[in-house]
Amino acid sequence: MLMEKPVYVDEKLREVLSSGRLEYRSKALPTWCPGCGYFAIVEGVTAALNDMKIPMDQAVVLSGIGCSSRFPFFVNTYGFHTLHGRVLPVATGTKVANESLMVIAVGGDGDGFAIGGGHLSHAAKRNVDITYLLFDNGVYGLTKGQTSPLSAQGFKTTTSPYENPDQPLNPLMMMLSYGASWVGQAYAGRPDHLKEMIAQAIAHRGFSYLHILSPCVTFDKTNKTYVNLGMIVRDLPPNHDPTHRMVAMAQAEQADAPALGLFYQESRPTLGDNLNSLIAKAGGDASAKPDRRKGE
Amino acid sequence: MAARSSRRRAETTPESPPGVEINGEQRDGAPSGEKGMSGADIQIAICGSAGDGTIAAGDILRNAVAEAGYKVISFDVYPPEIRGFGKCISRLRITTDQAYSLKERSDVLLSLDDSHTIPHVGEVRDFGAVICEAKPVGHLAEGEHLSAHILPGQIPYSLPIRELSEKATGGNRSRNIVALGYVAGLCDLPKAPFLRIIESKFKKQGPKVIANNAAGFGAGYEAGCQTFKLDDVHFAPPARALQPGAKVTILNGNHAVARGCLDARLTTFFGYPITPATTIMERLATELPRHGGRLLQTEDEISAIAAVIGAGYAGSRSATSTSGPGLALMGEMLGLGTIAEVPAVVFVSQRGGPSTGMPTKTEQSDLNAALYGSHGDSQRIVIAPTNVEGCYRCAGKAFEMAERYQTPVIVLLDLYLSNRYETVELSASGPPFELDANVHAKRLKPGEVYQRYVLTDDWVSPRAIPGDPGCMHVITGLEHNALGRPNDSEEMHELMSRKRHEKLQGALRHPDFTHVKRFGDAGKVEVGILAWGSTFGECLEAMIMARAEGIRCSAMKVVMLSPLPEAEIRAFLDDCGAVLVPELNYEGQFAQLVQGRLARPVTRLTRVPGGPMPVAAILAEIRRLAGRC
Repeated sequence: MLMEKPVYVDEKLREVLSSGRLEYRSKALPTWCPGCGYFAIVEGVTAALNDMKIPMDQAVVLSGIGCSSRFPFFVNTYGFHTLHGRVLPVATGTKVANESLMVIAVGGDGDGFAIGGGHLSHAAKRNVDITYLLFDNGVYGLTKGQTSPLSAQGFKTTTSPYENPDQPLNPLMMMLSYGASWVGQAYAGRPDHLKEMIAQAIAHRGFSYLHILSPCVTFDKTNKTYVNLGMIVRDLPPNHDPTHRMVAMAQAEQADAPALGLFYQESRPTLGDNLNSLIAKAGGDASAKPDRRKGE
Repeated sequence: MAARSSRRRAETTPESPPGVEINGEQRDGAPSGEKGMSGADIQIAICGSAGDGTIAAGDILRNAVAEAGYKVISFDVYPPEIRGFGKCISRLRITTDQAYSLKERSDVLLSLDDSHTIPHVGEVRDFGAVICEAKPVGHLAEGEHLSAHILPGQIPYSLPIRELSEKATGGNRSRNIVALGYVAGLCDLPKAPFLRIIESKFKKQGPKVIANNAAGFGAGYEAGCQTFKLDDVHFAPPARALQPGAKVTILNGNHAVARGCLDARLTTFFGYPITPATTIMERLATELPRHGGRLLQTEDEISAIAAVIGAGYAGSRSATSTSGPGLALMGEMLGLGTIAEVPAVVFVSQRGGPSTGMPTKTEQSDLNAALYGSHGDSQRIVIAPTNVEGCYRCAGKAFEMAERYQTPVIVLLDLYLSNRYETVELSASGPPFELDANVHAKRLKPGEVYQRYVLTDDWVSPRAIPGDPGCMHVITGLEHNALGRPNDSEEMHELMSRKRHEKLQGALRHPDFTHVKRFGDAGKVEVGILAWGSTFGECLEAMIMARAEGIRCSAMKVVMLSPLPEAEIRAFLDDCGAVLVPELNYEGQFAQLVQGRLARPVTRLTRVPGGPMPVAAILAEIRRLAGRC
């Protein structure tokens, strides 16, 4: 899984400077540990927004709580750093309030699948038109290394000092069965593919779930490391049919060999579409501006 | 009205002494003796078993008398089960001038189920009417028929309700309507408004159902007209002309909240069903889409308030409604609203607690939760209306305040206020609410950086909303600096805590809002009543009775509970020989608030009956404090 061609610092710098993507980076320096996979995700998001020419003031990035959830501070868009586990309902409110905003929700594996687990199914079934980037490092980093619902069984942490007695959830199986209309997986160790997947997830109209495997270099030296992940990740088979949910589930089931790419995609009305048709049924005017502002 | 004594009139007429105000309008002085004598004041109670149509009969009655021009206040009591054989009671007080609460004792009691009604016979006043089934089905053991329990002095009217219903409609499903017709006939109420209400109520079920119910009503009405009356229950004419263009409507507290939301141009609503707040959401689920708004039922109360905060951040006027258990779940998110300075409106209708408690019984025990229920210094605005019209005004004003002061606002109701009906006079001019109370950020000059939490004279920072050009910023639940960047330095936390406290003080001067209001005697008084929420109606009734007994007395309602209008309350306390704080919770939460903030002694009157505070209990305390017992 090495990158196809060598990368030289000066070339990369020139490319980054000329691309315009630095405009999407805020002036705040990321607070992550050196080597954290999340740096690649910031790069991926800023590059995707830049490539897609999404205006910064039309984009909102919301997050929960955790290492990953500091993310909004590092991009130059509107942002809301909310509560632990609650990014999806907050993002749903933002999108319902103003359909024209491009909304990205980000959070970690503990934020999304432990405390916030109850919201996943509802955001997915409603098909609220947002992109959910889940940063999975399999450990609670910000609180210094406790077990997460995606930690491997047997993993030793400060709260499971002998070993983690639980088996991890299978997030992709869950999101596929909840009815997410776009489900994909990427790896922070493959930044070009990651950027491509982020752009696709944003472009999808409906609820897109992108699972991003990313090592925690500080609190996980045994499981999701660059070395281990690098050895087990694989591409989806070239003939994978992303319109077939059961085929996608068969791929997702192989958690020991995580596949990267687009597992599943379907096109169906979003929450916004459905609320608009409900307004039409009631005889209201769906185009009534949410903005009540007095003439400026 | 042979049996009526002048003593009784003095006790039961809601006469308005000088200076007493109602619904924010100064009522014209003391009603002349003539006016007082001619004013109607009748309370009718209908009691039956779940499924008898008790609440439905009450609904038709209150709408019909409102249409006939009377003022109504009414409150239904029902069990938490849908069927089964729970007890339902609908009580209506029908007056010429709007009353403030129900009376202790009813003038008329209509029984649709004797086993449930028997324990309530005692609430009928002397010479009041008790109406019951004359020909019960099957054999009743001794003591199972209501007639065996009627007290000396009460006047029984027995009526073959079932037989009349079967004769008129071919079935017994119209028993409630037949009995209602009988009450109307007996009391000489006009027939036409009832028939109009019956027609509109049963419109969906088709012409046959309308005709059946109209026939049932007619049969009962005829029987009532033909009954020899003892002239004990007497309806005076409704009188009282309206302001030109004004419209009288009959609303309960939750409907008034929904109407206030719509008139304030609510754009999004997120909620989770919970008694007794559900009808706010139900009403808006129908009405909001008609006005182009969006309503979503979320997976729990946490998501509901989270979505409201997310929508508020995006510039929407957004709200949710819940009761105590839901408020408990919302606590953490309210704290986020406070520190991130996002507008949000939460309607909380209290019920008996803690835990699931008494879901269909009223209580005022969530004051502490509303004021403090989060973590950290989570300053917020809490307002509590005292009557149905207040629900309308507070609902609309809550959005103004949430936007103007960039904070969560809790509007505190309770089951008694949510479910009680009052006639409300809506003004002819448009809704009295400001439709955009935001302090918007100005366009940035080149090179300028937007500071979300910049310090200003009134501590409110101009707000940019996602989509505003060039003002990208991040808001957060972390302590932050003016830019919104995380900052936990000692100075910054002091400064930002102060900012969040100081900006709310502006709400104490929020325009066109009744923060506190004093009723009754001006100047020094023997006893002052300080009260909040739905209980204030009972306090006013008690105050009026106390003044009629010659006790100098006044009552102050406190609508704004946070921030607390300390200066006004202190001035009131200065005028009072003794201060009584009646409220429906066990430990006296409002009394604790007032004592803690003002360091003044007050006398607590706390009750948790699950129903309204008894006026007699308040009156007894007033007499005791005034040394008249």
